[in-house]
Amino acid sequence: MSHDALIAGLVTNLDPVRRRSVAREAALVLMLAAVELGLFLGLGAMRDDMGAMIGSPYMLWKLGGLALLALASGAVAIRSLSPTAQPRRDLAYVAVLVGLTIIAGALIDPMAGGDGQTILQRLSPANGLLCSLCIAVLALPMLAMLALLMRRGAPTRPRTSAWSIGLAAGTWGALVFAFCCPVNDPLYVATWYCVGCTMVAVMARWLLPKGFRL
Amino acid sequence: MLADEASLSRLAALAQRGDRQAYAAMLTACRSWLLRYYRRKVAPEVIEDLVQETLLSVHRKLASYDPGRPLMPWLAAIARYRFIDHLRCAYRSAGEAELDDDTTDGHDQAVIARLSLDRLFEALPDAQQRAIELVKIEGLSISEASVSTGQSESLVKVNIHRGLRRLAALIERL
Repeated sequence: MSHDALIAGLVTNLDPVRRRSVAREAALVLMLAAVELGLFLGLGAMRDDMGAMIGSPYMLWKLGGLALLALASGAVAIRSLSPTAQPRRDLAYVAVLVGLTIIAGALIDPMAGGDGQTILQRLSPANGLLCSLCIAVLALPMLAMLALLMRRGAPTRPRTSAWSIGLAAGTWGALVFAFCCPVNDPLYVATWYCVGCTMVAVMARWLLPKGFRL
Repeated sequence: MLADEASLSRLAALAQRGDRQAYAAMLTACRSWLLRYYRRKVAPEVIEDLVQETLLSVHRKLASYDPGRPLMPWLAAIARYRFIDHLRCAYRSAGEAELDDDTTDGHDQAVIARLSLDRLFEALPDAQQRAIELVKIEGLSISEASVSTGQSESLVKVNIHRGLRRLAALIERL
């Protein structure tokens, strides 16, 4: 087919398009986040002592840190859906933020040198794996929403976009889960929440670029 | 001739609203730019295909263009993606073709390779030739090769290293 014939065909098939808007996409994501968190808390999943714990440095670190990470990675994920975006650089900033959050957790660690528990006891692998799985499940709605936005967008680095989307969905799932998680140990949170987020990110990297077409 | 950035952005904005005339003008300008872009990067026989694929991508993702920004970086990003995709496909099909050659003419290829290797080996001293043959071709361990050749283990290693370096130099000169 010659270029002229192709252009003529494309012109004939032209329909008005609804322009992609970052603000609209961000609003959609925030709306889904509000609905999911509302449903989760409305079903009574919040830990019983949240009222007493909410002002503690540990809870401020956990909820504040995860909220910050979810916001930053969500912004990076949405930004990465534009062809002119530089998602690798943005992802590097998020990685730095993750590192700073973990360092902050180490600084407020209330159990450091505490009651003589070994690291393995503190990590409690059986519970930790369960937490990671819960995070992955809670991340699924956000993952689906961002995957839909990716299909509509035009990322020119689909794999990096998929990593960003996985990270955003994972940190969101972790934030929701943090409201019900009864463990008060930054080491446990840093370890197993990272495992949960990584699971979601790997799943996104594996699934999302498949069938994506620019 | 290419229109200026502001006109192209205006054309793209009109195209997003369904203006076919503006869309035709925009695509024509894009085609000219793409022809020049790909001419610098790929063989002439694939330029046509790449331009067509990029124009199709532009059509599919027209909604992702923000008229508040210049059109060219948006188009260039899509063209670059198409170019990388083309390289990936070319690399994959080259690998498959190599695999097909190996399976269809495996015996012939092996004979030719052996003959070439024998010719190259003639340029090596016997000790180096033997060490490479035993360890790198027959798969013996260094100690087994040491027993078989009567060379010490470190001498086997040195001979392999020197022999391979010499072979590499010979191949480069071919």
